Amino acid sequence: MDSKKKFLDAMENKICKKIDKKGRLYFEVTNENLHEVVNFLFKEMGCRLSTATGTELYAGIEVLYHFSHDPTGIYFCPRVLMTDKKNPRMNSITPIVRGAEWIEREMAEMLGVDFIGHPRKEPLLTKNNPGNLDKPLRVRSVS
Amino acid sequence: MTKNNIPLGPFHPLLEEAEYFNLVVDGETVVDIDMDIGWMHRGHEFISEQKTFTQSIYLVERICGICSTSHPIACVHAMEDVDNIEIPLRARYIRTLIGELERIHSHLLWLGLAGHFIGYDTVWMWAWKYREPVLQMFEIISGNRNHYGMMRVGGVAKDVDSEKIPGLLKILDMVDEKMQMIAKVAKDDPVLRSRLKGVGVLSKQDAIDYCAVGPTARASGVHTDVRKDEPNDAYDLVDFDEIVLENGDVYDKLVLRVLEIFESTKICRQCLEKLKTAKGPILNNVKEISPGEGLGRYEAPRGEVFHFIKTDGSNRPMRHKVRAPSYVNIPTFTASCKGIPLADALITLASVDPCYCCTERSLKVIDPSHKLDNIDLLQISRDKTEHIRREINAD
Repeated sequence: MDSKKKFLDAMENKICKKIDKKGRLYFEVTNENLHEVVNFLFKEMGCRLSTATGTELYAGIEVLYHFSHDPTGIYFCPRVLMTDKKNPRMNSITPIVRGAEWIEREMAEMLGVDFIGHPRKEPLLTKNNPGNLDKPLRVRSVS
Repeated sequence: MTKNNIPLGPFHPLLEEAEYFNLVVDGETVVDIDMDIGWMHRGHEFISEQKTFTQSIYLVERICGICSTSHPIACVHAMEDVDNIEIPLRARYIRTLIGELERIHSHLLWLGLAGHFIGYDTVWMWAWKYREPVLQMFEIISGNRNHYGMMRVGGVAKDVDSEKIPGLLKILDMVDEKMQMIAKVAKDDPVLRSRLKGVGVLSKQDAIDYCAVGPTARASGVHTDVRKDEPNDAYDLVDFDEIVLENGDVYDKLVLRVLEIFESTKICRQCLEKLKTAKGPILNNVKEISPGEGLGRYEAPRGEVFHFIKTDGSNRPMRHKVRAPSYVNIPTFTASCKGIPLADALITLASVDPCYCCTERSLKVIDPSHKLDNIDLLQISRDKTEHIRREINAD
């Protein structure tokens, strides 16, 4: 069965705006539905988390996860947008996907995202930095 | 018994990059491990966003001195994915040829270092000796032994001269022949087998949970190989096997890499034969990249290299995300190092294929409460091999 169809049949009501490209499916998902969608991708479909990309946009802070369905080579990319740039918060997927621990820690220190439920909330890259790095490193709008 | 901490790193010749490992030991057994990265953060993603697309390709080529073509290939795949750009047939074969030659030299480099860590310096010298002709092949093809500068959006920068192909095939035959000899040593030597069998096991479930990639995952029975999963370039036009083993120990990782070298030489030979007849352009003229998102990946020697590009229609990426395979393979140490003897810790840490392109400076930590330091760890690893050798010889 086509993996995109399998996913959309089960999760279409949980996702918002989607972009369907050759071998890729980008879609928006609310923070409330994130765990259910990730659970389906990782545990039901056997997808592997490649990584996640955190980006500062005009509209807010965006976190885009990249799940690879290796048997078909298709990428599923759930996107979560946090409009409150000064206090971005979202659910962590590390309790479901252990491989997300490092990238969520990195996004936390780069973009200031508070990942709720992350088992180890400490910086990944700047833990041993002697400087006082108390603000997100890559957010331009928060001085 | 009291637990002791053994710091390893952050600057140490055994480590891939500047990383810090804290081994918690109870007597001779490693009971826990913690890792810190960020010692050599170079800000490639941020720098790339200030560069044009073509400049970014050169920039990512310098992320790693060993995977110096895997990053550019993944990067151009991401740029091409934004507009679904097709590349000429001849360029597809050239990209595949360069990528597979890189796999051969990287696996030979790892094989030599693995031998060195456990006291098999002959393996080290052989492997590095026969890696040299592969670097010569790069020089013949691209003019450079490293950082080949071959990748472009829409194709490759340089063609492979047809007159040079017979010479390249001859070198490949010689590498194949010598690899048979090294493979025989790796597979038949009783000491090597006893030393590495059952060491640093990563279970299949742990490999899946940690999202491991490349030989680290495939040695644990996980089928993940970008060349098969999403066959871009010429991988759907050549015949090769995906090597997957079951035990997940260091021995299987060694055997897997040796077998992958044979598959790579097979692919290179097919590409060179095709390049004799596949005429045509090597580069499509791509004038601009539309606003959008694209992701590209390539099966580097250590596993999947991942690049994500977000564009806004200008001549530079608005966001460029890079994920190297070690980023997901290193956390698997938490699973594979627990419960192993201290003498096996180094080779287990090395089994995900450390990269030696970075600094080789070491920091010696002297703690009066326990005298073990980095050099001692190397020594006890070698002592264990010697002990096994004596036992086998005594039998």
